[in-house]
Amino acid sequence: DAVVVRENFQPCAEDIEMWMASAFDMAKEALENGEVPVGCLMVYNNEILGKGRNEVNETKNATRHAEMVALDQVLEWCRQRDLKPRTVCERTVLYVTVEPCIMCAAALRLINIPLVVYGCNNDRFGGCGSVLDIPAADLPLTGSSFKCISGIRAEEAVEMLKTFYKQENPNAPKPKARK
Amino acid sequence: RRKETECDDSWVAYPVLSNEQSLDPELIDAFAAPITDKKETSRLIKELATVYPLRGLQHIKRVRARKEKGSTHPLEVIVCLASDAPDRGMDIFDLSSAGRLNCSGLGVPFLVKIPACPPLTRPQFEQASKHWPTSFHEDKQVTVALKGQLFSPHQKSKMQEYMMAAVAAAKQGWERGMEGVGAVVVDPESEKILAIGHDCRTGSHPLHHAVMVCIDLVACGQGGGAYTYDKYPACQFVLPDSSPSPRKDIPVCGNQPDQASTGESGHPYICTGYDLYVTREPCVMCAMALVHSRIGRVFYGTASIDGAFGSKFKIHAKKDLNHRFEVFQGVLGQQCEDLNRQVNLVKMNS
Ligand SMILES: [Zn+2]
Ligand SMILES: [Zn+2]
Repeated sequence: DAVVVRENFQPCAEDIEMWMASAFDMAKEALENGEVPVGCLMVYNNEILGKGRNEVNETKNATRHAEMVALDQVLEWCRQRDLKPRTVCERTVLYVTVEPCIMCAAALRLINIPLVVYGCNNDRFGGCGSVLDIPAADLPLTGSSFKCISGIRAEEAVEMLKTFYKQENPNAPKPKARK
Repeated sequence: RRKETECDDSWVAYPVLSNEQSLDPELIDAFAAPITDKKETSRLIKELATVYPLRGLQHIKRVRARKEKGSTHPLEVIVCLASDAPDRGMDIFDLSSAGRLNCSGLGVPFLVKIPACPPLTRPQFEQASKHWPTSFHEDKQVTVALKGQLFSPHQKSKMQEYMMAAVAAAKQGWERGMEGVGAVVVDPESEKILAIGHDCRTGSHPLHHAVMVCIDLVACGQGGGAYTYDKYPACQFVLPDSSPSPRKDIPVCGNQPDQASTGESGHPYICTGYDLYVTREPCVMCAMALVHSRIGRVFYGTASIDGAFGSKFKIHAKKDLNHRFEVFQGVLGQQCEDLNRQVNLVKMNS
């Protein structure tokens, strides 16, 4: 039963630590390349199906957040194997260094991701409690609610964002997460 | 069923206001008393202001005239908030604050409810005034908008034209097995349609709601975009007049820090100043995508249960978010409602 699967779905602590470590590696790499330091991956059956970084600038589309990019890769993976996205997404965990924004949180609901693990809060746009609590909201037509595990290496994630926004505009540092 | 006609003026666009502007005023308890001796009025007002200042309630008029004519005591005054008199004395001497207030000229106190916040709209003002008089700094534009009279006949006919295009797109999507939702992005300056899209979620991408498609189509029109829509001939974009060549203020590649994001102007807020018309109130994802894209205004035909503007969250009016914009609902409401009903009917039968 899908509901039972979703509710009992939880990776072990070592796995969470390991996947978050690779999300942080991604974020660091992005920072070194002058990109928004957000690392994001989607893991299904111990396999990374999607790995996203912010592609807002190159697509000129302000919705191309790392999560949306990673999601597209998961959908492509399903397409290639002729699998229903829903059956895969229901067992896929999103690991991301910063709390997903309101838009991404709603997107994660719409595709029925059961669990989101993230680092620091996103004070400006956060959709998992900071500005709105989308996973817990009563939205009968917007997919299913999901669980969150937050605060993993949060300070480190904040530091990276601070560094990025400082180098982006030295005259007006923007300490809060913008993504 | 209503027929689509050239000049359908049966619809009215109403503004979707914030909760602060649209909810009934919050009320708090206060003690008021009749002024039995008119000559004491100015002294009483002065003393009450020091003994029982109404902090944060500058909108409340301290004295009101009794409505009934020929009353023996034509004026009533707020003595204090109920929370200032914890013993809740209904005897005027209980409210004298240990003699600091000279109660002569005051009659028997009574409990009233007064508005806790200044009214922001005329309906709120009228509602508040039923309880106790308040001051009101009227935003005339909001008053006109709430009457459904904000737009000129020319504007209304353009709005109708845009929404018709969205409805037509919705129908084309519907015929291809999509949800019947369509959207259009317009540059109100040039009155030109920049993008037309419909829902494409079935089969191709579960997140390709009409609004998401339109945002990406606008990006396509500016040399960006993340997807192609060749399969869907009704999803189209045009190049905006103002930028015949790709806009130079937006970096194409984000691998050089100085170029990638040079402050506010360097970000692809591509919908700045544009209007979106969509047949159905957008969901949370789409509404927030419009915030990220800095949309100018949004017009939707009909509400939806999980809609994130009028139905839930009021995302366009949220103070915590860094971009706010006007939203109107009801443009071609009947046609949009018909579309929606069709969708729901099929959903129920499947
Ligand atoms: Zn996001
Ligand atoms: Zn949507």
